[in-house]
Amino acid sequence: MRSATVQTRMPMRLGPQPGEVIDRHRPFTFTWNGERYPAFAGDTIISALAASGERVFSRSFKYHRPRGLLTASFLDPGCVVQVNDEPNVRGSHRRVEPGMIVSAQNAWPSLRFDAKSVNRFLGRFLPPGFYYKTFIKPQRLWPAYEKVLQRFAAGGRTFPDSPHGYYDKRYAHPDIVVAGGGPAGMAAAVAAAEAGARVILVEEEYELGGHLRWGSEDELGALRELRDEVARTPGIEVLTNSVVNGRYDGNWVAILQRNLPHVEERLIKARAKVLVVAPGLIERPYVFRGNDLPGVILSTAARRLINLFAVKPGERAVVLTANADGDAAVADLERAGVEVARVEDARRGGDIIGARGRNGVRMVECGDGSRVECDLLVTATGWTAPTSLLNMAGDRPVYNPTAARFFPSRPSDDVLATGGISGDGSLDELLAHARATGQEAARRALKVGSALRAGVPRRVDVEEPPDMPPIEIPELPVVEHPELFQGRTDGIVDFSEDISSKDIVAAAKEGYDSVELMKRYTTATMGPTQGKLETVNAVAILARATGKTIEETGTTVWRPPYAPITLGALAGRNFEPVRYSPMQPWHERHGANPMVAGAWIRPEHYGDPESEARNVRENVGLIDVTPLGKLDLRGPDVPKLLNLLYVNQWNTLEVGKVRYGVMCAEDGVVLDDGVTGRLGPEHYLMTTTTSGAATVWEWIESWLQTEHPDWQVHVTPVTDAYASINIAGPKSRELLLRVAGDVDLSPEAFPYMNVRTGTVAGVEGCFMWRIGFTGELSYEVHVPAAYGLYVWEKLMDRGADLGVKPFGIQAQRILRLEKGHLIVGQDTDGLTGAYSAGLSWAIKLYKEDFIGKPELSWQSECDNSFQLVGLQPHDGSVVPPEASQIVEGENEIAGRITSSCMSPTLGRSICLGFVAPHLAEPGTSVTVLLPNGERTTARVMEYLAHFDPKGERQRG
Amino acid sequence: MSIFTNRDGSRDGHHKPAGYSAFDLFRRGLLGTQWPRAWRSHDLKPSYDVVIVGGGVHGLATAYYLAANHGITDVAVLEKGYIGGGASGRNTAIIRSNYLTPEGTRFYDRSVKLYETLAADLNFNVMFSQRGHLTLAHSDSALRTSRWRAEVNKLQGVDSEVIGPEEIKKLVPYLDTSEHARYPILGALYHPPGGIIRHDAVVWGYARGADAHGAHIHQNTEVLGIEVANGRVRGVRTNRGDVAAPVVVNCTAGWSSLISEMAGVKLPITTFPLQAAVTEPVRPFLEAVIVSGTLHVYVSQTDRGELVFGASVDPFPSYSMRGSLEFTEGLAGHVLELMPSLAKLRVLRQWAGLCDMTPDFAPIMGITPVEGFYVDVGWGTYGFKAGPVSGETMAQLIATGKTPPLIAAFDLARFAEGRLVGEKGAASVGH
Repeated sequence: MRSATVQTRMPMRLGPQPGEVIDRHRPFTFTWNGERYPAFAGDTIISALAASGERVFSRSFKYHRPRGLLTASFLDPGCVVQVNDEPNVRGSHRRVEPGMIVSAQNAWPSLRFDAKSVNRFLGRFLPPGFYYKTFIKPQRLWPAYEKVLQRFAAGGRTFPDSPHGYYDKRYAHPDIVVAGGGPAGMAAAVAAAEAGARVILVEEEYELGGHLRWGSEDELGALRELRDEVARTPGIEVLTNSVVNGRYDGNWVAILQRNLPHVEERLIKARAKVLVVAPGLIERPYVFRGNDLPGVILSTAARRLINLFAVKPGERAVVLTANADGDAAVADLERAGVEVARVEDARRGGDIIGARGRNGVRMVECGDGSRVECDLLVTATGWTAPTSLLNMAGDRPVYNPTAARFFPSRPSDDVLATGGISGDGSLDELLAHARATGQEAARRALKVGSALRAGVPRRVDVEEPPDMPPIEIPELPVVEHPELFQGRTDGIVDFSEDISSKDIVAAAKEGYDSVELMKRYTTATMGPTQGKLETVNAVAILARATGKTIEETGTTVWRPPYAPITLGALAGRNFEPVRYSPMQPWHERHGANPMVAGAWIRPEHYGDPESEARNVRENVGLIDVTPLGKLDLRGPDVPKLLNLLYVNQWNTLEVGKVRYGVMCAEDGVVLDDGVTGRLGPEHYLMTTTTSGAATVWEWIESWLQTEHPDWQVHVTPVTDAYASINIAGPKSRELLLRVAGDVDLSPEAFPYMNVRTGTVAGVEGCFMWRIGFTGELSYEVHVPAAYGLYVWEKLMDRGADLGVKPFGIQAQRILRLEKGHLIVGQDTDGLTGAYSAGLSWAIKLYKEDFIGKPELSWQSECDNSFQLVGLQPHDGSVVPPEASQIVEGENEIAGRITSSCMSPTLGRSICLGFVAPHLAEPGTSVTVLLPNGERTTARVMEYLAHFDPKGERQRG
Repeated sequence: MSIFTNRDGSRDGHHKPAGYSAFDLFRRGLLGTQWPRAWRSHDLKPSYDVVIVGGGVHGLATAYYLAANHGITDVAVLEKGYIGGGASGRNTAIIRSNYLTPEGTRFYDRSVKLYETLAADLNFNVMFSQRGHLTLAHSDSALRTSRWRAEVNKLQGVDSEVIGPEEIKKLVPYLDTSEHARYPILGALYHPPGGIIRHDAVVWGYARGADAHGAHIHQNTEVLGIEVANGRVRGVRTNRGDVAAPVVVNCTAGWSSLISEMAGVKLPITTFPLQAAVTEPVRPFLEAVIVSGTLHVYVSQTDRGELVFGASVDPFPSYSMRGSLEFTEGLAGHVLELMPSLAKLRVLRQWAGLCDMTPDFAPIMGITPVEGFYVDVGWGTYGFKAGPVSGETMAQLIATGKTPPLIAAFDLARFAEGRLVGEKGAASVGH
């Protein structure tokens, strides 16, 4: 590798061109495959390399043939390169930067000599789908074959330590989004903005203008005028180097913005009232022998190189032209000093039979059989209409044989099309069509705007614009164009996938004869260009092979995104913030071990969970239960809602009472549980499990909105509006007494399963309920969140002499397991019905209706599912790990351990677990298979609770 | 009862297809001869012994096994579009058997076994790549479920174990296994026989195999109605004419409730879209299949170098196969959560398929109240994995009239009798 050499001159660089986009005053160098190359600001990676005379930029996917530039645009299939740690950069689009490190992809050991290019001699043995037909036997060798196949995977490299980078998103609410900043898009944007609409004008390339940029003096003049109009018309936001990437339901438009400094890419999500699609036309390659040789380029590529980048595309050219753009390319080439050795005019029977050369075109065989030596072959054989945005809006394009391209077929209310996609004509005709389209778009958008505003109450009446009659959009003429897809020889159809016309015909003959099967079998149109260059040729070739018309054959469906978009831009910034309770600073100061619990970080323990648990049994402990889901329910129909959601009865809950409730899904499976209290006549507070908080809210809203929109219930999630503290232990009443202001805490005035509202530590608006997850006398206090830390510290302070200590999740789990309280999601799972979870006491089948009733009615009659029971290993020192299976005989599964721990209170191991119904009888001995393969036995207990089964402590 | 005219005896339709092998590739390459059609096209006959509605992997596998295992060859597979164009061509092609219930584990294990020899059985390389399958656990409850699945799997003889972050990092260096991740990876259920497959090849292989045995594959043939008289199925009406048949099998996944209704059979099925996306190809860097239940995402890299990923079903029922923007946004975020260094990798294409979900996340297979009308539906998000075993068992049921034990738990009657299966825990997000 000659890394020291620097290319100092650019032999193919032309003198100044009127429309050039390079800045000759800002030269710099960059690195290509280890060597330094010169460039000017404004060059693309490939234009700079082409100016230095480079012609080969990659090796093809399958045969590793040398590939050069073809389109000189974003789509250029042979110009995909690696830039630093970024794979698959479009080298004909990306502007080169000083010091950029660029390398070729898909070449080994080097671009000049590629070992895998031997494949091109094997081509005849590697027809499409050859891998389906071989490597079949012996089966055991397939993994080795697969490794070989994987070596041929195309594409750049990723690195495990690449930095994530910065990405963000933007929401926009324009009246109109115009996709495409060529002459039609610009004119439509100006007309729409003049009519009062706010417009976002999006252009894929670095500057507005489309094909006018490489046009004649007159066209450059028209371009200047249009750019001036855009600049001075208020209400147009111009986004260059940006793409309208998708159109989704409700005109939800995704725009990929790439022109921001310091931001790789940004996703803009725009709710457009009207989308105007003006992407212009994509020039179509021609299929013939040797059409993928470096030096075979499209007419637009020649004109871009000469006029935008002042790069001479070759020395001696043959041109195949079927249209005015090809003719213009001939003029451009001659002006640039390229010797045009032959012009084959397809309108008069001219054609190309093939091109020859090793690493580039050397000679072209023309339609009459004559051979012309040259290093450049330019084709202008027609256009592809990029109808994808219209497809996404439901349009199915229709083939028009006169123009030899597809056209949109179905007009829609909120998506309009203009420019080349809609028809041909002079620049004036196009601009007139675009202006009318812009005005009509504005009219529709403003009408939608007033309809939307009509529903919004306003203080002052704003005069709405009067209803305007629709603007008449003139028809664009359709100019006759020869149907040119494939010449007399076979050539490459899909340049990214290395699929030839022969491959498509072969696939059709094998039965893969519909466009979708052909696509899937050959992989044509499935590569990085996603069919924008090759679909129409592929369809035409398939049509001929099957004896059908192009129209009958149809096209594949174009799906979003229009241009590939980085995962970073799609993801944006991570909007899954970590949630902490207001007491988090205290926990951190006191050595809490953090634990991820869904969205929350919670104290797992403060160093010694067993002594934390003992302290709750003996004195009093505090646990931060802020993450418990909390929903504020108001309205006269709350009891109806509760009766629907919960399996138990809610009509009789009096003000001041709380009740434990179990929710099931329609299949009778336990969904969530929690306590709900009645704070006032029409005011309830529901608590849910921490992990179920969001699900339950969605669940409630979905039932209310879809099944019972008439019910008067208002649901507000208030999880983080309150800090929640559970005070548990025999001394909890004494502690609470010291801080509770106006609430009578005596057992008679505030019994078990009651709720009171009042002042705690001087903080008003708190409510507290007496419940007992830990099995001890306990109060759950919900404090306005801003005072959470204050109240917590106050409790700690005032309870010091009572032995108050914090306890974490782990101690809580021990305590509740001693008490036999199940945890939904741990002791139940996605198939545990309410009966098998031991909740039969809660299920009130006599209720008129509730979610899961039909299924639970079944289960009540014929439930043979596993039962949740308390279990104690006979050997109290053995703690069977959770998920240990309970087995019968050799390996018949008869249950499993769902929770287990060493009980500090009882000094032995305790469990909850599922057992088969015939093993559920108290006293039964079951065999537990430990994960290490050993077996132990355990006894089925009478109660789920291992400690204080009658619940005397919590009721005290 | 012999409703099967061609059983074993006259096998007029049978032909031996051109063999696929490296030698044949070489020979034809040398001679330049064209390969014959992988399957033939036929006129639609006025009657068949068996009509299978739906030309996806389930329908074609059923046709194949009817012929290959039971000699029933007078079979028509009716497909309204092109074969494999529905969920068979839209899934993310993950194969595994580390299910949660013993029934599920046994059933899918048989499917994996059939997939393992499918290339040789069909003489069509389906490119089954058993590269290992990792279900990541980001919470202690997920880790507990992983242990549970591992224990159940071990007892069923399925290779499955729980591994820790260090081993995970060794298998997939790109994963962020640090403790500082938003959802730290605490462990994973590792299932070495799991992997990915070339889904289209499975469809085409079965089509070619069924065709070779004489079954007729009719594309662009849409079933418009099902004829039922006196509680017996009589045939179907199609856009190409009527077909009489004593046996009609519904293998139409996303559309299965609509097709069953044509026979007057109501199914407890709701159809939801499921979305997927694929990136541009990059050099191979990801060997194992990665699944994260917490992040609702599964990722694998194809032999072509593309990253394929999918999510759980959309939150609302629909027959729409357009993708949504929100889906790709969420998915990209979750992929980067797992592998933050892939931010510059680009998404090339997104799409959606339809999932026919049942209340207990298990399929519905077998007889219906209409005699002769069979269903092989309710495949939700796990149908492709089950293609071979479903074809094999459905063929056995049709041929013998007896429900194979492997699918006895999946009968339609369970919904009326309260015997739900319940694979929700492992199937809903567990690709």
